[in-house]
Amino acid sequence: MSANLLLGLSPILIVSLGALLLMMAEALSKLRNEARESPSSSLAMGSAVVLASGGVASLALWLQGPDNLMEARAALAPWLLIDRFSLFFFVILTLGAFLTVLLAGGYLPEHKLDRGEFYPLVLLSTAGAMALAAAGDLLTMFIGLEVMSLGVYAMVAFRRGSPRSVEAAMKYFLLGSFAAALLLYGGALLYGATGKTDFSSISFQLAHTGYANPTNLQQLAWENSTPLMVIGLILVVIGLAFKISAVPFHMWTPDAYEGAPTPATTFMAGAVKAGAFAMMIRVLMMAFGDVRSASWGSGWPPVLAALAVATMTVGNLIAGRQESVKRMLAYSSITHAGYMLVGVVAMAGTARAEANGAVLFYTLIYTISTVGAFGALILCGSRGAEAVSYEDLAGLGKRNPAVALALSLFIFSLAGIPPTAGFFAKLYLFKAAVSGDYIVLTVIALINTVIGAYYYLRVLVFMYFREPLPGAPIAKPMKSGHVAIALVFAALLVLALGILPSKTLQAALSSTISG
Amino acid sequence: MLMDYASVGAFFLIAILFVFGAMVAGWLVRPHHGYDKKLETYECGEEPVGQAWFNFNPRFYIIALIYIVFDVEIAFIYPVATVFKRWVSQGSGMFALIEMVVFIAILLLGLGYVWAKGDLDWIRTQRHAERRGVQNVTSASAKPAPAKSQPQPAAAQES
Repeated sequence: MSANLLLGLSPILIVSLGALLLMMAEALSKLRNEARESPSSSLAMGSAVVLASGGVASLALWLQGPDNLMEARAALAPWLLIDRFSLFFFVILTLGAFLTVLLAGGYLPEHKLDRGEFYPLVLLSTAGAMALAAAGDLLTMFIGLEVMSLGVYAMVAFRRGSPRSVEAAMKYFLLGSFAAALLLYGGALLYGATGKTDFSSISFQLAHTGYANPTNLQQLAWENSTPLMVIGLILVVIGLAFKISAVPFHMWTPDAYEGAPTPATTFMAGAVKAGAFAMMIRVLMMAFGDVRSASWGSGWPPVLAALAVATMTVGNLIAGRQESVKRMLAYSSITHAGYMLVGVVAMAGTARAEANGAVLFYTLIYTISTVGAFGALILCGSRGAEAVSYEDLAGLGKRNPAVALALSLFIFSLAGIPPTAGFFAKLYLFKAAVSGDYIVLTVIALINTVIGAYYYLRVLVFMYFREPLPGAPIAKPMKSGHVAIALVFAALLVLALGILPSKTLQAALSSTISG
Repeated sequence: MLMDYASVGAFFLIAILFVFGAMVAGWLVRPHHGYDKKLETYECGEEPVGQAWFNFNPRFYIIALIYIVFDVEIAFIYPVATVFKRWVSQGSGMFALIEMVVFIAILLLGLGYVWAKGDLDWIRTQRHAERRGVQNVTSASAKPAPAKSQPQPAAAQES
């Protein structure tokens, strides 16, 4: 029993123990070592190793197959559900965090932010996001969400001398706490309505009250608790929509993304979003996956579809008007949340398994591409001369062809242009939506993809076809082995998954939520 | 169903009336002769100086943060202590003990961390301050925090 417990928990345990060890190592080694040296150089590698081993452990557990996982799952259920769905997300999360710490290893020393706290914060946040992705109970969901968020608040404020960074953190903290409060209140109402906090019991109550044994008393209980259930569901969805920054709950996103140090932005756009998506899918599909709640006529799908349409469209239209590339990428991450929501809506339809696989695959590809894009942006600038606006990128294709090539690759992937992985991610997602008969939604998503190409390709136009304005300050590209490793790794993944996507897609398709 | 909440409503009404009633009654009964000293803001018997908006010394804040380590410890150990005997009789005493040891160990790690970082010293040694200060300055507007020149809040000194 306890061996299974440890086995099932091993990915989370590795990451959180690694975080504690690195935290102490950082605090103690500084005391011993009077001559100051950059803590980033050793800590970035240390945390990368920890995250890589967490990812490998998740992968190994995933490969064991659903049958062998049953015992580990039973030991932790219903609080944490270690099934293939959560393990797939563990891999996404550790991968996103792995790339983040490598980026931080180059960025922090360059920008004189070289404090070791960053790395334990990333690791602890990742552990929280993993708990969030695996949570099968309202309470573990909330704890996971808070553990994830608290670390990120601190990471956003990491450039604490800069008013902009502190403002971004304050905004993110206030809105994030507000969202967490809504989520908690929604959870309390759900508990009040059903008497249960774990998702499968809530689903059971929903499916059976006044249904299986329609005695008068149960019918009455159902009718009385329906408004509570609905309000609870709405509040939970709003809380999660804040975290995935779906329109109209996206207001904090551009400011927080822009004010934060770029590695923190990367982490928010990648791992935090993936963790919140995992949670949203699990709440909707497990707790509210019954016939009534998940049907277009009487349940949440139309609401989520409206959210998806608003998120895609608004994110796209505002992204096109940005002059700062970092802000454009922030809005682009909002847009991508909209595409993923299309997949979540499709999961409620007839093509459930297909949509499930498509959303997981999309999340994986999106995480790699967006981390890569932010990473390439880091490499474009150096201290005092950061590349933030389109103008800064002018002529980069000549000044530094390697960085320009990497940035183009990730931008292609975000735009969904073959042969990058982003193309297949979009293809499978839209195919799943079409086979679930969500034609209108798919058409809107397709139109948005076309609009998105405008501002993505604008980056390329500036890099390759424009010369910097005479007299304008030129962003000097920085040099960093850490960032280079991360970018090469991400670029290889984007290309490999773009040329041979089928195996990973198969893996995503078989990573279903175990009821 | 709705009538069940009538008592809650009545409670709210009485609560509000009670507050206003008490204040109005006090206003009617008490003597009214104020003089300058009496109309001043009361601050633990100290004479209030200056505005209420000023920079606080962040050390109070850090100490309060560190206190959370012990706060969390107590908040979670206490409930366990009340049911521990029952767990032992159920045969899961060892498991619970190990769990608690792990829990306390993690919290102590936090204490060790702030100790190593020098946040337990009331007056931070120059060594710590220097090591942090130099690295943290990111823009010209962020001056290294002057250690002593900030006005101390009078109330905080009292406590």
